[in-house]
Amino acid sequence: MDIQAYISSGKLELFVLGDLNETEQQEVLSMAKKYPEIQQEIEEIEAAMFAFDQASGPEPSPSVKNKIFASLDAERESAGPSDKYLEKEVKLYPAANPWKPFAVAASLTAVIAIGAAAYFGYRYYDAEERVLLVLEQNASLAENLQRTEFRLDQLDADTKQLLSGNFDRVPMKGEGLPMQEDARVDVFWDRESSEVFLSVNQLAELDENSDYQLWAIGEDGPVGIGLVDPEAKLNLQSMQAAGDAQAFAITIEPKGGSESPTLEKLVVLGEIS
Amino acid sequence: MEEQDLIKGLQVSDRQVQEYLYEKYSRALYGIIRRIIFDQELAEEVFHDAFLKITKKIGSYDESKGRLYTWMANICRNAAIDKTRSKEFSKSSKTNTIDDYVYGMESESGTAAAVDGIGVRELMEDLNEEQRLVMECIYFKGYTHTEVAEAHAIPLGTVKSRVRSALQVLKKKADKI
Repeated sequence: MDIQAYISSGKLELFVLGDLNETEQQEVLSMAKKYPEIQQEIEEIEAAMFAFDQASGPEPSPSVKNKIFASLDAERESAGPSDKYLEKEVKLYPAANPWKPFAVAASLTAVIAIGAAAYFGYRYYDAEERVLLVLEQNASLAENLQRTEFRLDQLDADTKQLLSGNFDRVPMKGEGLPMQEDARVDVFWDRESSEVFLSVNQLAELDENSDYQLWAIGEDGPVGIGLVDPEAKLNLQSMQAAGDAQAFAITIEPKGGSESPTLEKLVVLGEIS
Repeated sequence: MEEQDLIKGLQVSDRQVQEYLYEKYSRALYGIIRRIIFDQELAEEVFHDAFLKITKKIGSYDESKGRLYTWMANICRNAAIDKTRSKEFSKSSKTNTIDDYVYGMESESGTAAAVDGIGVRELMEDLNEEQRLVMECIYFKGYTHTEVAEAHAIPLGTVKSRVRSALQVLKKKADKI
């Protein structure tokens, strides 16, 4: 490659003048990188061009300079987002803040969220209260069930006892006695096993210091075979065994029962037929 | 100011740097435009737009493709040439020749010539006819070298070498001054 021929071809002058197409420009640039002489020649042409341009023309009038810098100042003012004037304006007119729609949206979202939180919070407490109520009901139902089961077991046992044994029903009545004309209590007695049950049909309530006592009256006189609960009506009450009896009777005795019956307070009497 | 500092200052629209740029280069850049557009008012209008374009497009300046001045000179030359090819310009039909330019300058108020110090005529007088023709077409009318070659039936290589020899003469002349 003849560097001097390349330099003197005039291509470099045209390059500096901007009178080469893209391919030719690239060629000159890569040549300048490779050969320092070419780079130097380009720089010399640039310097000569500047010197020639500088020397050849008249000075532009001062009004051009004023116009140019007025335009540049105007551009600076309108373009710069960091402009103090603009910042002030934003402060003076917050409505012009471009974030405002977002702020409004955010506040709305917050209000809606608070509302939703309150609603669901209320729903939660409401639901919890109802759950507690249901749990309570459930517990009481379970208790009832247990009681019922126990009662059923008891009744079952009683029934079995009644059915398996050979019980006589001895109705005791208050008719003709001074205490309670309408009183009525049934005794069930199995002669063989001596077992005694009792079922209250009608019996008046007593004061705290008294009890009803059941007596089996045999050849040896009356024997106390347990206290009677007047409130457990039409329920079988298990009493003490009575081996020998011609009649059963209930008297009112002091609390806890007595050794021998107070005959003045005989309430009901039933003879075995 | 180093050219790199100048470029950095221009990129952030530093007013002081823009003024420095103007002081250093306005005469040469305006000279390019004025050579092509003789009408002072029109030339100043083009210069105004071209200078603004330079400050705006500084981001696209590529240092590896030449000096800052060369890049700016091309913007100004192209702006002037575009103007001469616009409808507005063809109406006023102010196409320059060196003589128009030289005598026009001299016929202007004496102060212009005095301020200029050296005129185009002094720069051009050492060129021969062939060199003058090429310089007139390329420098003053903004033709490309291929256009000159076609219009005057001169081989491309010859146009190129004449541009070079003309610039060599001018270079020597400018060095002396």
